[in-house]
Amino acid sequence: MRIRTVELTRSFRVGSSEITAVKAVNLEINEPRLVAIIGPSGSGKSTLLNLIGLNDYPTSGQILIDGADASQLPGRERRRIRNKRMGFVFQTFNLFPTLNALENVELPMSLANKSQREQQEKAMKLLETVGLRHRSNHRPKQLSMGEMQRVAIARALANQPDIIIADEPTGELDSKTAKEIISLLQGINEREKTTVVVATHDEKIIDAADMVYTMQDGRLKAED
Amino acid sequence: MLFSGQVTVVSDDAVVVQALPIGGSRLPQNPTVERISGIPGVSTVTPVLFVASVGTQSLSQFVPVNFTMGIPVNDWELVLGPVPLKGNGHLPANDSSSEIVAGASMADQYNWTVGTEILVNGYTLHVSGVFDTKMALLNRCLVMPLTLAQDIYNYPHSVNIIAVKPVPDMPQQNLTSAIKGRIDHVNALTETQRNDIVQPILDEVQTWTIGIEAVVFIISLILVMTVTVMSVSERRRDFATLDAMGAPASYVFRVVIVETFLVGVLGGVIGIAFGSLTAIVLASLYTSIPVALFFPSILEIVPPVYMLEIFAAIVGVCCLGGIIPAINAMRMRIAEILRAEY
Repeated sequence: MRIRTVELTRSFRVGSSEITAVKAVNLEINEPRLVAIIGPSGSGKSTLLNLIGLNDYPTSGQILIDGADASQLPGRERRRIRNKRMGFVFQTFNLFPTLNALENVELPMSLANKSQREQQEKAMKLLETVGLRHRSNHRPKQLSMGEMQRVAIARALANQPDIIIADEPTGELDSKTAKEIISLLQGINEREKTTVVVATHDEKIIDAADMVYTMQDGRLKAED
Repeated sequence: MLFSGQVTVVSDDAVVVQALPIGGSRLPQNPTVERISGIPGVSTVTPVLFVASVGTQSLSQFVPVNFTMGIPVNDWELVLGPVPLKGNGHLPANDSSSEIVAGASMADQYNWTVGTEILVNGYTLHVSGVFDTKMALLNRCLVMPLTLAQDIYNYPHSVNIIAVKPVPDMPQQNLTSAIKGRIDHVNALTETQRNDIVQPILDEVQTWTIGIEAVVFIISLILVMTVTVMSVSERRRDFATLDAMGAPASYVFRVVIVETFLVGVLGGVIGIAFGSLTAIVLASLYTSIPVALFFPSILEIVPPVYMLEIFAAIVGVCCLGGIIPAINAMRMRIAEILRAEY
């Protein structure tokens, strides 16, 4: 999946003033890479990820996916792309507490109308990939933070996405577990040829990344 | 149905509810019965003494629990319709001074069987039979020969209802006019008139019932909606995650509606069970009849059709109450919710 943003801008109206969270960002990812976006809190990292992940509409500028403008696509088309071509990993995991690990991983496939058998086989395989096959019947409450994030990564991989968008995936984890998650994301990028875009403060991800960008006051700058 | 196809004659200052008189200071005497018999168009005349006893065991008990009817034994079937008796029971002799037939519910409550001796107003009576009928009134009724009832309740030669059956082709209306024209201080009522007396009360009750139902419906709708809005709001992260995973808007809508539907089904079942039980307990408190005696006839107290209507209404209210929260869930701005997470 080739992603390019052209003068991407997102502003919010807060009371009578307007805040521009993302200012004229130009970003291009042509090959499956591990891309890190770093920057202080409030610098616009999450807003940029939401725009790239088609969870939000830009105020101006374009998001081009494989050369086609996706910035103003209708909600239905955006959902289809999110479901089939993107995977999301959140800082707080966002697993469904009433579903067990297996069912959480099956959910994106169920939304893509895959057969029950296919869902189950694939979900088990993915849980095995993240080392949690033996925990497939456990609910999120019964899992450790690291295990929850592994399940979330397995869920993000469910429909074999072209890109994984991860916002502070190690933010809630201790350093040892964070290291495991980073190497898992790195492995996915290398083995599956999946682009991984990570917003982070974590130095370890920065070290592992192929490309590092810095976000400051809504502006994106490539690091050397 | 009591007094079916018959005209009833009562004291002119008695209030009549359906066929049964309440109050009345000038009770018809035995000679009145004989005079009515002589009116042209009269087929049969049955004097009845009806006594409603209000229990005094508890302050909460202000409705009559047990009733007594004194009727000449030969006319029982004429007034009560076919009345089978349980087991080895038999009707009392017309001139019996101690035999009575008891309602099944009373017999169950007080452990009466054929042959049991009971004491009423100082009179020792013998149960000669127990009614085997589903008629609610008869189940709580002691039926005895008229003269015995007049003695026990101290109404010498008096009755408070006279049931008059017209000859075939004699309109009830004509018969009541004839009775009122010839006999002073009585009121004669056709079946229609008896029903018409309570109809305005029933209509009023129905109007109030509809009003209360409407208010309950609106309050329930608001409550369900409020609770569901709160529930959806608490799980906005889940809905945002679903949206981020590409769940169609209709899927999110379905999730909320299915939830409220299930809440309705569960609430309906629990509510009907709890409501029926409460109805029985309240009835038991008001009447001092043990709760266990109500259980066999629970489907008569709360008919299945009524249960189904209530169940459908509860599920309907829950689904309806879920619509606005479901639309809210569909329209959540996921970027804002997800941004708030980080």
